[in-house]
Amino acid sequence: MAEHAWILAAVPAIAFLALAALGRRLPRQGDFLAVLAAASGFGLFFAVLASFLGRGEGAWPVLNAIEWTAIGDFRLNMGIAVDQITIVMLAVVTTVAFMVNVFSVGYMKGEPRYWWYFAVLQLFVASMLLLVLADNLLLLYVAWELVGLSSFLLIGHYWERRSAVEAAKKAFITTRVGDVGLLIGIILLWKATGTFNILDIIHAVEAGEVGGTGLFVSVMFIFLGAMGKSAQLPFHVWLPDAMEGPTPVSALIHAATMVVAGVYLVARLLPVFEAAGDALLVVTAVGLITALFSGVVAFAQTDIKKVLAYSTVSQLGFMFVALGAGVVSAGMFHLFTHAFFKALLFLGAGSVILGAHHRQEVGQLGGLWRRMPVTAAAFLVGSLALAGLFPLAGFWSKDEILHAVEGHRGALVFALISLASIMTAFYTTRLFILTFLGKPRDAEAGHARETGASMTGPLVFLAVLSVFAGFVVYGGVGEALGFPGGFGEFVYLHHPETFHIDWGLAGVSTALFVIGVFGAGWLYRGGRLDRAAALTAWQPKLYEMTRRKFYFDDLYQFLIDRVVLGFSYVVSWFDRFAVNDTGVDGSATLTGYAGFLLKHLQTGRVPNYALAIAAGVAALILVALAAGG
Amino acid sequence: MELTVLVFLPAFAGLLALLLPADRARYARWVALAGALAALGLSLALFFRFENGGGFQFADRASWIDAGAFEVQYFLAVDGLSLPLVVLTTFLTVAAVLVSFSIEHRQRAYFACLMVLSTSVLGVFTAMDFLLFFLFWELELFPMYLLISVWGSGRREYSAMKFVLYTVAGSAFMLVAILALALGAGTFDMAVLGQSGVESAVLPLRWVFLFLFIGFAVKLPIVPLHTWLPDAHGDAPTAVSVMLAGVLLKMGGYAIIRTCVTILPGEARDYGVWFAAIGAASVLYGAFVTFRQTDVKRLIAYSSVSHMGLVLLGIGALGTTAMVGAAYQMLAHGLITGLLFVVVGLMYERTHTREISRLGGLARQMPLLAAGLAFAGFASVGLPALAGFVAEVTIFLGAFQAYEWAVIMAIFGVVLSAGYILWTLQRVVFGPVRPEWAGAGDQRHWWEHASVAGLAALVILLGVYPDLIMDMLDPAIGAVSARVGS
Repeated sequence: MAEHAWILAAVPAIAFLALAALGRRLPRQGDFLAVLAAASGFGLFFAVLASFLGRGEGAWPVLNAIEWTAIGDFRLNMGIAVDQITIVMLAVVTTVAFMVNVFSVGYMKGEPRYWWYFAVLQLFVASMLLLVLADNLLLLYVAWELVGLSSFLLIGHYWERRSAVEAAKKAFITTRVGDVGLLIGIILLWKATGTFNILDIIHAVEAGEVGGTGLFVSVMFIFLGAMGKSAQLPFHVWLPDAMEGPTPVSALIHAATMVVAGVYLVARLLPVFEAAGDALLVVTAVGLITALFSGVVAFAQTDIKKVLAYSTVSQLGFMFVALGAGVVSAGMFHLFTHAFFKALLFLGAGSVILGAHHRQEVGQLGGLWRRMPVTAAAFLVGSLALAGLFPLAGFWSKDEILHAVEGHRGALVFALISLASIMTAFYTTRLFILTFLGKPRDAEAGHARETGASMTGPLVFLAVLSVFAGFVVYGGVGEALGFPGGFGEFVYLHHPETFHIDWGLAGVSTALFVIGVFGAGWLYRGGRLDRAAALTAWQPKLYEMTRRKFYFDDLYQFLIDRVVLGFSYVVSWFDRFAVNDTGVDGSATLTGYAGFLLKHLQTGRVPNYALAIAAGVAALILVALAAGG
Repeated sequence: MELTVLVFLPAFAGLLALLLPADRARYARWVALAGALAALGLSLALFFRFENGGGFQFADRASWIDAGAFEVQYFLAVDGLSLPLVVLTTFLTVAAVLVSFSIEHRQRAYFACLMVLSTSVLGVFTAMDFLLFFLFWELELFPMYLLISVWGSGRREYSAMKFVLYTVAGSAFMLVAILALALGAGTFDMAVLGQSGVESAVLPLRWVFLFLFIGFAVKLPIVPLHTWLPDAHGDAPTAVSVMLAGVLLKMGGYAIIRTCVTILPGEARDYGVWFAAIGAASVLYGAFVTFRQTDVKRLIAYSSVSHMGLVLLGIGALGTTAMVGAAYQMLAHGLITGLLFVVVGLMYERTHTREISRLGGLARQMPLLAAGLAFAGFASVGLPALAGFVAEVTIFLGAFQAYEWAVIMAIFGVVLSAGYILWTLQRVVFGPVRPEWAGAGDQRHWWEHASVAGLAALVILLGVYPDLIMDMLDPAIGAVSARVGS
């Protein structure tokens, strides 16, 4: 089964075609097809997993490829490769996709283009699975663009709203700038190694066939693609805007799966990054700056989804920090746990938005704890997991990251990532308090009602995962599930690492959690805003700067309006006036005018012509004499 | 015999349409459709009977003018480079006839012109005698002039005249070059010229090369010889835009490979770097100008300038992979831009405006056409699994070895294309729904469905199964690049 893992991508692809062609005419607009496809994907994943584990470590990775095209001596194979990293990604994608499809049945009920929403959701799942299964960079790039397309279509689902279309366009173009880097990087690697196959590239790099500055440059180009997709500074601007899409989409694409594609890509190519000089240092730096930056910006956001979006950007930064430390298991582990609790938080936010009649500004929410108990409890679990409470999932993966940074990147990075952890706990607590505690600040929030079972069901399921998913770090747990050991013994770069809890580090981690939670708890005690208001009044400029996201969006808007469009204005002005009107029409006018002048020579009177002939003959004689003499 | 039948079949159907009695004028479109379908069927039969790697096939040859010192032949043949373009032409002719079904004005003459246009393009792609080639090249001007100036819109006489003058100016250079070559080598036979090469001509060879290039570059078009294109596209009827973008531009790219590179490989080696530079510059220049267009058809026309720049870049690299990519880009661009013009044309029939600022929210009132525009737009952006992506990546990979800088410039054009296409989609199909288009109606006639669906299907087919064409292009282009020695 593992060698036929492409079936996992084929099922949603077929569902997409069926829904796109027939969805509107099917009963219930075909939503059952989507849920069925997602459920079978979830089931098939276990078949793939069992087959994969059954082969034993010696038989990994499982490969399967066909020749796709050949031009001259250039051959291109397309195929899949299933290794441990792929298995982790498949687990994340199929699980969250299943939950999101179920959740959407309730959430999207009565929304416009219900069938189309489900169709594109399946297109996304198919492309995402293809992305993680691809055995070569070109196929990966194909899938990479297709997830971008699905993301575009889903962000812009409510296309009547200008802001939604703007956000969709922004997401596509911003990531495309990174994608250009990725494509150049892929071509450079191909030029250096002669192949697109990921394993062959890694082998070539490990054998020392390529290296030096050339490799560093190609890896940096590849990393640009990863930064774009995973919304790292300075490409982060598209992700918060992408919240214009329906909330389940935010949970699936913009929290759990597509945005981690960049992390996945770096993890997949980590041996290449390792061999490429200071590439990993760049990865750490970008991740760290992003983690801190978006941690700060998340403080000042008032839209429940935007807080979560900046939180996602920040957590992706954590993953890059771990990969930058060279520890693939820590990065992938955080990707794994984060997918569950962040999807939970987004779906929880969706439940809140629906329950509170489309209120999503925290200033209008509050006091939902009593009115939406299941959502509130699930959201609490997700928040605590994100903030890193022992022994929830987030605690273990954050602990692994701290461990990796401590071992490989030194005290300064450790201190800064700890600071980012405090921020995580802080903004998460703030969000929870403002949404669920205190009194409702808006009449609609006061009439909020708990959502139906198709929504609370996935919340409970993901809450359970957010509690327990972290335990797979232990060897005993992993073995009980059929793995060779804990997470670090399954996913590793050079040699497996057995997990031993470091109580000192756990203590630090817990201290960071406590500081963040109590800080926010003090500031927003009982859901009151007076202390926060005082803080804003004390530093209004700093607050404004944070609220405006440090003007990144304004800067880019300026660059697009003034530089890109300004330059194209100049070029098209040149095209119109210099090339066309002067060069082309001008020469036509000139020809016409010359004809107008010369036509006076054609008088039609014989004496005039005779005179001209005589003058011509005289001139010729003069020339001949001059030449002869 | 097959090729002769294929080439003249459309014109024959056009003649029949013209000869219909006045009260039967409405049957002209059916006559044209029958002719176009027959030509498509015949070209497909040749396509599947063609032996990949077998050189020139289905040759029809007869002596035409024997002047002692030189001989002009009637000589038609196809190889792996021209046959896909022939199929593209017959296919787009069918699409062009279908989108013309709603034409009311002087139907018989219209379809006669359209079909003669098809014949002239087929002639250009199959003629293997240089003078015959030139004849077909010039023949295309008559129907184009009439089609734009009679059935066009806006400043149609100006645009038609501009198109003709531009082409004729280029042709003048071309004719000088052809005569110089043929008189030097003693033959007009392009197969012979392409095999033996030319050692000397009446003019210095680099002049000959340059003159040929100017003639073809106008058609391609390249910056700065492109300003006829937005005018011609803007004012031409839909079907003519489809043929113009779909196949007429490809005559330029085809001819550069077939003559400049094949007959004068030494000069091609010397000037390849210029091709790459002009190509990359056209990509960026075209993209920037596209941003400022306010008329949908002119916008697509400028995006064509950008996309055809890639063709020249691929040819300039001279390697097999890059030139295969260039040829593939011609096919992909023909289909994608053809589809764009079909959809925009159908929208125009319903809204009677091409001003982007007056459109908007069409996804509500015209969901099918909006989906078609979005699909074609994304194909134009180079979305994977569609034809344009295969072409672009092949060009990038092939040209990268030779001209790293030009490829990187061109890749940035790809970002810009995402920008202008998505911006256009935003303004035309998305955004607030406008009440004035409420009753405009969606794509609804079978001929509209057929042309949109057929083009879209081929865009997907060439995107996921490139070997269908690659296997045919590869040996033919391989022979060309072997002559260049790279």
